[in-house]
Amino acid sequence: MLFELEGVTKTYGAVTALDDLSLSVAPGAIGLLGPNGSGKTTMIRTLLGLIQIDAGSGNVLGMDIRRRQLDVRRAVGFAPEDECLFPRMEGIEFVAYAGELVGMRTKDAMQRSHEVLDYVGLGEVRYRKVETYSTGMKQRLKLASAIVHDPDLLILDEPTNGMDPAGREEILQLSRDLAHNKGMSLLFSSHLLPDVEAVCDTIVVLGGGKLLAQGDIQQLKELHNRFFEVRVKADAELFAQRLSALGCSTEIREDIILVQLPEGRTPQMLWQVAADHRQQIRHLRPQRGTLEEVFLKAVERT
Amino acid sequence: MPIFDQGYQHWSGELSGHAWRWLAISRQGVRVGLKNRFLRLLLFVAWVPALALVLMLCAWGLLERGSAMVSGFTRLIALMQPSLVMDPKYYRADIWRLSYGYFLQIELWVSMILVLLAGPSLISQDLRFNALPLYFSRPLRRIDYFLGKLGVIVAFLAMVVILPAIVAYIFGLLFSLDITILRDTFGILLASIGYGVIIALSAGLLILALSTLSRNSRYVALLWIGLWFVGSIVGHALQAVDSQDRRQAYYNKITVTRPMGRDDASLSNAERQRQRREWHRAIQRANDEYRVAELEFSKNDWRPLVSYSANLSRLGQQLLHTNQTWAKLAAMQPDPASRDRILALYMGPQFPWYWSAGVLVGLFGLSACILNFSVKSLDKLK
Repeated sequence: MLFELEGVTKTYGAVTALDDLSLSVAPGAIGLLGPNGSGKTTMIRTLLGLIQIDAGSGNVLGMDIRRRQLDVRRAVGFAPEDECLFPRMEGIEFVAYAGELVGMRTKDAMQRSHEVLDYVGLGEVRYRKVETYSTGMKQRLKLASAIVHDPDLLILDEPTNGMDPAGREEILQLSRDLAHNKGMSLLFSSHLLPDVEAVCDTIVVLGGGKLLAQGDIQQLKELHNRFFEVRVKADAELFAQRLSALGCSTEIREDIILVQLPEGRTPQMLWQVAADHRQQIRHLRPQRGTLEEVFLKAVERT
Repeated sequence: MPIFDQGYQHWSGELSGHAWRWLAISRQGVRVGLKNRFLRLLLFVAWVPALALVLMLCAWGLLERGSAMVSGFTRLIALMQPSLVMDPKYYRADIWRLSYGYFLQIELWVSMILVLLAGPSLISQDLRFNALPLYFSRPLRRIDYFLGKLGVIVAFLAMVVILPAIVAYIFGLLFSLDITILRDTFGILLASIGYGVIIALSAGLLILALSTLSRNSRYVALLWIGLWFVGSIVGHALQAVDSQDRRQAYYNKITVTRPMGRDDASLSNAERQRQRREWHRAIQRANDEYRVAELEFSKNDWRPLVSYSANLSRLGQQLLHTNQTWAKLAAMQPDPASRDRILALYMGPQFPWYWSAGVLVGLFGLSACILNFSVKSLDKLK
């Protein structure tokens, strides 16, 4: 397992940030979703051993988060959400310094710094002071400093916050490449569901400090395979009543009928009903499931 | 350049353990500090007093060996105090103590300026650019962060206090060519190193604490100037005002009438000169009495405690025993008045050294508290 948490509880005064959270996550590209205050950042800090949890246990890459915090942080690369910089440095020094802080030798860190800056597309500005970098460049710089020691797990906290579309796309490309082609596990925390969908294979949805949903994104979206949009030539209301009588859930929106088929039935049922009652189906298409729906449904359940 | 042109290579090097992680912060801090050309210039200038110390120690070593190379120096010393030249080995430790004392006194001022140039930005810039999450999300503890930042100041101060002291000692040793010098002077070297460590730790922790109080390093620099410079000025002013009052009290005791000068036509020239001589003698007596009383009074004078550098200076005197050395050299004077004059001129503050130690320990504790409250772990950070 990439990381496991068992009954983790963390409170800040009267606020419970993590409430008996248990989950087990396999290596891969994982999206961490949740509304504001759902406990995402607290969970990340727990994984990095940055906070003292009130109860529970856990491990990251097989290392106990309560006993081996420094080892965990050495094996993990982390790019925090906030705009943060080591001041008065050039880009190349910044990344090398990040490597030295993890325990790389000065020479190794400098050599590796050149490599990762090229990789994230900052090669041409490596000798510029980091204070002069744009927001997008700073995000890529943070990403470079998080991967300088080639960690087994990379944690990105809201990496596309405040970025323009081009910069955002670059970060997403890099994240996807690292997770899918470079064998680095990724925990990608974001409010932007399309970003998570673009990068990750699995998601963990948190709400109120609890686990709301977890699993493969495609599987979670398959729940929508029984949802269809239908438009008929004749009376839509009558057609909907006939479907309801056969166990379908229906909802009419203007001239479109939203249909949820009963368990085990296929869209063939719709054609059959239309044929039986001599009605014409003008439009039939599956309702496209989005991560947003998965997310909203999970949040609604709480 | 498009992304991915260079690809991504895995890295399989070894990562070091956690014990010396703070050293990376110190190293980086020194690298950044050395980019400041004023600081580089000061580091260079700081070796001038060290050169003077080396010259003095070497000259004394040659004088001990009766070398003709330092005949001019020998004549000069003989003029000042013949007994020093007659048995230079006997006074070896005293001369070394005083030389190191003067050297460290100058380097204390250099250290204060060095701290002013290197220290204010150490933490304030990290706060300004929100660098703490970057540090603490890596395998670093808060203590590593503090040690790393303190290491920057210690490294710079070691370059101007400890390192020159050691180099000068080695040169002094080489020019003396006498093994007994180790027995006589090794304590002085240890005291100098100890004093350097005290300056570095005290000033280092203090500037770090001040550096957490503002995100603007210029304000921190002003705070440091205030603490160091204004403290010194206030300390000296308090001493001067108080001592002036006491001096006046001694002058008021003079019973001899002040000569009227040439306006008094009733007096002959001889009488006028006699009065003037009497008046000068009375003034001299009052001054001598005042000096003796001042030496006694300075044993309990708390006013220098207001000055941060005076406290450090007092500890330096205590470690090197410079006051005792001056007392020993003054005792060589046959005339009590000139003995007192030497003591009054050259002896430093004589209040108990542990007063200064107490003030410095208090400042150290206060600095540690400020650091602890101002630099929070990520658990406490937003």
